[in-house]
Amino acid sequence: MYFVLAALLDGPLHGHAIVGRVIELSRDRVKPSVSTLYGILERLTAQGTLIVDREEVVDGRNRRYFRITDRGRAIAEAEAERMHHAASVVRGRRDLGLA
Amino acid sequence: MSPLERRYRRLIRAYPRAYRAAHGEELLDVLLGHTDPRRSRPPLREVVSLLANGLKERAWQATTAPAWSDGLHLGVTALCAASLAAWLPYAASIPLWCALSALALVLVVMGRVRPALPLALLTGIKSWALGTGVVFVDATPLPVEPAFLTPDPLYGLSGPLGAVAGPALACAGLAVLALREDRPRRRSPWWLATVPLLATAGPAWMSLDEPAPAVAVRIAAEAVTLAGAVWAGRLTGDLRWALAAALYLVAGSAAFAQHLMDQSRQDLAYWGLLAFLTLVAAVAPRGSRMRAFT
Repeated sequence: MYFVLAALLDGPLHGHAIVGRVIELSRDRVKPSVSTLYGILERLTAQGTLIVDREEVVDGRNRRYFRITDRGRAIAEAEAERMHHAASVVRGRRDLGLA
Repeated sequence: MSPLERRYRRLIRAYPRAYRAAHGEELLDVLLGHTDPRRSRPPLREVVSLLANGLKERAWQATTAPAWSDGLHLGVTALCAASLAAWLPYAASIPLWCALSALALVLVVMGRVRPALPLALLTGIKSWALGTGVVFVDATPLPVEPAFLTPDPLYGLSGPLGAVAGPALACAGLAVLALREDRPRRRSPWWLATVPLLATAGPAWMSLDEPAPAVAVRIAAEAVTLAGAVWAGRLTGDLRWALAAALYLVAGSAAFAQHLMDQSRQDLAYWGLLAFLTLVAAVAPRGSRMRAFT
């Protein structure tokens, strides 16, 4: 969920692009299946964390572009802060030569 | 259409109809874009994921209806299915009543609670009459002997409380739903398929001393359904499935309580399993990840 929010920080993307961006941002560590990604997108949209920015029809098929809301941005930043703090616990020991 | 697309389309049927209509093509487009076009079969990971997420989407879609009335309707549907199932082995002796009970179930499944209520009342009173030996409408010779599935006469083991508890609860639930302006949503016709699964042991608390395969089918059907209620409640943080499970448990417990002193350890264990799963269904939504996230 975190990488999905992170993937949308630079602007609206459609499903295809979100999968690629999540893989890229996570350095191949997170490879969501398409249906799992869409499950996450539907829930985040229902909660108001994302909204559908626009819809386009490509080759006769609908394509939704998802945009992160202010609320989603706040959740992503809070999660980043939490992980930064968690990382600093270990890094701090290493910097002090305790690791 | 390529074999890969055909297979993906088949898998997308795991999603609810409304979701497929709105987003099925979009999902298919992304699936095909992320699968090697030389493949004729979807990757196993995507197959499992589509089936699991289709089920999840069904649970989420269920939460769009008001929780308590939808949960009540779900519980009433299960009770009506159980009432018809109780009569099914005796259909040759009480065909008209079975037909009325089946019609009530169909109407409940369709969400038509107002026309279903008088039918459920009629069949409920007949249940009570058959359980107590009172004549109602037609003089049914007692005991009513089964034609198949169970060796015991109708209500021979459960007594009047077991005969009337389920139908009475179903009628009360239907009466509450009938007072509401909004009609409950139409449920899956698969509910009709649960009737033969539940019909094996009649309304009496089933004997597990010599479990027949048919009894095992009923136990499995009930346990799997209640486990599904736990899963859906946990996923969505919603209590509607717990409400439905509690209604079903109360009706089953009435027959069980009437013969409490005669129950074997196995019977107690089985009732305990149903009660435990119902309790977990009530508690599980509290730990929902989605609720925590919001």
